[in-house]
Amino acid sequence: MDFLSNLALGFSTASSIENLFFCLIGVLLGTLIGVLPGIGATATIAMLLPITFQLEPVSSLIMLAGIYYGAQYGGSTTAILINMPGESSSAVTAIDGYQMARKGRAGAALSIAALGSFFAGSVSTFLVAIFAPPLTAIALQFGSAEYFSLMIVGLVSSIALAHGSVIKALAMVALGLLLGLVGTDIYTGTPRFTLGIREYSDGLNFVAVAVGVFGIAEILRNLENEKTRSLLMAKVSGLLPTRDDFRKMVAPVLRGTVIGSALGILPGGGAILASFASYTVEKRVSDKPEEFGQGAIAGVAGPESANNAGAQTSFIPLLTLGIPANPVMALMIGAMIIQGIVPGPNVATEQPALFWGIIASMWIGNLMLVVLNLPLIGLWVKLLTIPYYVLFPIIMAFCSIGVYSVNSNVYDLFAVAFFGLIGYVLVKLRCEPAPLLLGFVLGPLLEENLRRAMILSRGDPTTFFTRPISATLLLIALAVLVIVFLPSVRKKRDEVFQEED
Amino acid sequence: MKSTTFDRANLLCGLLFIALGAFFALQSLTLELGTAFRMGPGYFPLILACALILLGGVILLQSIRIEGEPIGHIAWRGMFFILPAPIFFGLTVRGLGFVPALFLTALIASFASGKMKPLTALVLAFCLTIFSVLVFSYGLGLPFRRFGPWLGF
Amino acid sequence: MKTLNAIIGATALAAATLFSAVAGAQTYPDRTVTMVVPFSAGGPTDTVARLVAEAMSKDLGQQVIIENVGGAGGTLGAARVANAEADGYTVLLHHIGMATSDTLYRKLPYETLNAFEYVGLVTEVPMTIVARKDLEPTDLKGLIEYAKANKDTVTVANAGIGAASHLCGMLFMSAIETPLVTVPYKGTGPAMTDLLGGQVDIMCDQTTNTTKQIQGGTIKAYAVTSPERLDVLKDVPTAAEGGLSDFQVGIWHGIYAPKGTPEEAVNRLSEALKVALADPNVAARFAELGTEPSPQSDATPEALKAKLEGEIARWKPVIEAAGEYAD
Repeated sequence: MDFLSNLALGFSTASSIENLFFCLIGVLLGTLIGVLPGIGATATIAMLLPITFQLEPVSSLIMLAGIYYGAQYGGSTTAILINMPGESSSAVTAIDGYQMARKGRAGAALSIAALGSFFAGSVSTFLVAIFAPPLTAIALQFGSAEYFSLMIVGLVSSIALAHGSVIKALAMVALGLLLGLVGTDIYTGTPRFTLGIREYSDGLNFVAVAVGVFGIAEILRNLENEKTRSLLMAKVSGLLPTRDDFRKMVAPVLRGTVIGSALGILPGGGAILASFASYTVEKRVSDKPEEFGQGAIAGVAGPESANNAGAQTSFIPLLTLGIPANPVMALMIGAMIIQGIVPGPNVATEQPALFWGIIASMWIGNLMLVVLNLPLIGLWVKLLTIPYYVLFPIIMAFCSIGVYSVNSNVYDLFAVAFFGLIGYVLVKLRCEPAPLLLGFVLGPLLEENLRRAMILSRGDPTTFFTRPISATLLLIALAVLVIVFLPSVRKKRDEVFQEED
Repeated sequence: MKSTTFDRANLLCGLLFIALGAFFALQSLTLELGTAFRMGPGYFPLILACALILLGGVILLQSIRIEGEPIGHIAWRGMFFILPAPIFFGLTVRGLGFVPALFLTALIASFASGKMKPLTALVLAFCLTIFSVLVFSYGLGLPFRRFGPWLGF
Repeated sequence: MKTLNAIIGATALAAATLFSAVAGAQTYPDRTVTMVVPFSAGGPTDTVARLVAEAMSKDLGQQVIIENVGGAGGTLGAARVANAEADGYTVLLHHIGMATSDTLYRKLPYETLNAFEYVGLVTEVPMTIVARKDLEPTDLKGLIEYAKANKDTVTVANAGIGAASHLCGMLFMSAIETPLVTVPYKGTGPAMTDLLGGQVDIMCDQTTNTTKQIQGGTIKAYAVTSPERLDVLKDVPTAAEGGLSDFQVGIWHGIYAPKGTPEEAVNRLSEALKVALADPNVAARFAELGTEPSPQSDATPEALKAKLEGEIARWKPVIEAAGEYAD
């Protein structure tokens, strides 16, 4: 079989001693930098990128891929331990992961994240290897109308992110969408909502918003009752997941893998939705949806797997089309070009050792991540025993560096402070930050694709229903809406009846 | 008859969303709206802003009927020291340079907690600065000037 | 013969600069030089900058490090350098956007022609007029006729206001005197995806982004915008061959320093640039991007100044006619 010999070539390239070594270094550095609060995958890769320039092309890209996984995992670690997500995907992990950590189950949450990611990564690596070309053909069927409909599905699903009031969650999504539109309108070049500040003309920095509404709001919340409440975290109980945890994580990991792999293929930002979508599904299928937001294992296992699967399959458009699916992939392309490899449709045939070597190293990188991180979990959890008043100045310093390092934009730091304030106010008013963040990443995609679809259809709105994929997605959105609202309507009615009893 | 009680959190929340919605709506109106077929830059945000105002209104109405848990303590001291920390870093990192800016940022943030003693804060800020300079400036070679022009370097 | 001459010339130049480097070692540079790239890491301009910076470091004997100050079409980074200390330790590597932003932005925080000293031109990346692979016309003439006949339905993709593809698209429409349906994207990636998927018809973009796709047969190329055919795309005619005689456009890159930078520093940087551009490794990497280093005679302050002034004058009417501004 062709694919087996290709994979064999890949593994023989990737498993040379030096490539294994660079992969290990990449994973290690990625984890160590990515775990610093406020420094997400993009910032980590941008910081570590120059280190890889000196290497051979294959080694350099393998190391970079390692950095990528390491950074992603490091980002999830900070999301779980201190509620400080540096990436939109880990914002979802933070919801239940941080609650688990507060209940003393940080070790279990981290192991679940690592194992789920590994499984998802392994499966989707093989998906990449076997199906890359045909999947690309499907991905290219997605035009603006399809992306718009897909974003609608994401938006409808976002309701499930909230465990409190649905109305408030919707308001937070709307606010997030509006914040996402801050910056220059690409169609006319008009600056919008920038208050005349040119530094915001490319939009608000995601890390600044995420660090503000999640991390800083959390720090402030922990500072408010300092005198009366001494213990923030329950005592850490057991580093590894119990047999019961394993049972609970199997199905979510499987579902997350499927969802993430499918969404990651789409070059127009499908991977963004992966963890959100998985969370929604898990909450829907769970017999105990009320556990979500309080430290549900499925709420960590599903999204983490989906995220990693999506991260993996988002290499498909990169490798087969030479098109970056997200800012991280754009950095990877930059690195490839510097190495003298311009990615394009022919990379697989022109440079098979490189192409398959990277694919094989994805799996090896994931394996190393698990091997490396399971022992490290003990160390990460120890960090929680550091007194909080020592921890948060460190957090503030690192997130200042991290946010500033991306574009050397001082206004991004001002945004951190502003969104810290807004985030704290909203938390005090019992609004949850995750829907806001989802709105923030979807806002520009939603508007851009809506307007582009309208231009391409010459102003004919039926384009969303006449294109089959788009129509299917809208039907899915409708179905989600019905499923989300029906049980809650029924439950409300039950409650009413109970009260009358 | 029960006395009318307000849920203060929801009341404020509703008002906040209405205010934010109004801000975005007013700003959108200054932009070109266009038509549904060829949307201008103001079209989509205006719709969203109206939705936000509407949702804020619903929350406001809900606040009259149900009483929720109180807002609780507010971390004034925390806000006073935490929020200016990144701003200070931004304002000084290029002028003072990476080392002093980071040191002072960490120091400012340290005072957000009543439990922090001045000496501990100094030691913490010092160690943190050393660590960061080693990792980011020497290790990763980020283009920060360690000491800036304000100090005569 | 020509190449031999070039090699001899380059070697002589390298020797000359080496000598001047030794002579000027005590004065400049005695610490790291920061090269500001006004775009984010990983993009084509960043790539050009990193390749050149590495080669310049060797000649300067000091590290030239890249600082990415992205945002607002490159004007934030340019403004940063315009306001930086004029000591030769902060320089800017910017592309054609330096000239076009002068018209595209009506409120710039610096005066383009008065805020900088000039170091030299780095490279000029040619553009290609490409289309989805199943578009009917077979050559540029056919494409122009097709576009004129279907001007309400032919779509032209671009990567956002001020992007290379936007500029080239504007110039193309002005050259064929036919406004087509413009479809903006956020960046080249999504625009190229839709071109590959056949969702849009035409795009005009840098060879950096299009060469591999053309070679792979996933998109159709109608013309290159350079005066001569390109080695990497031998089968693609020039725009002039296809009937658009004045249609020459390239994404040129230049290095600038803040106004008032001492002359010896500027000259030293210019020397280092010349050495970098003569470096075979740089040339090889540039070739893979579908471009080549600027000739030694263009890596000079005078050449860059003339280029910038000429390009501002050239683009002003095109942008004003299109009526598309970025603020």
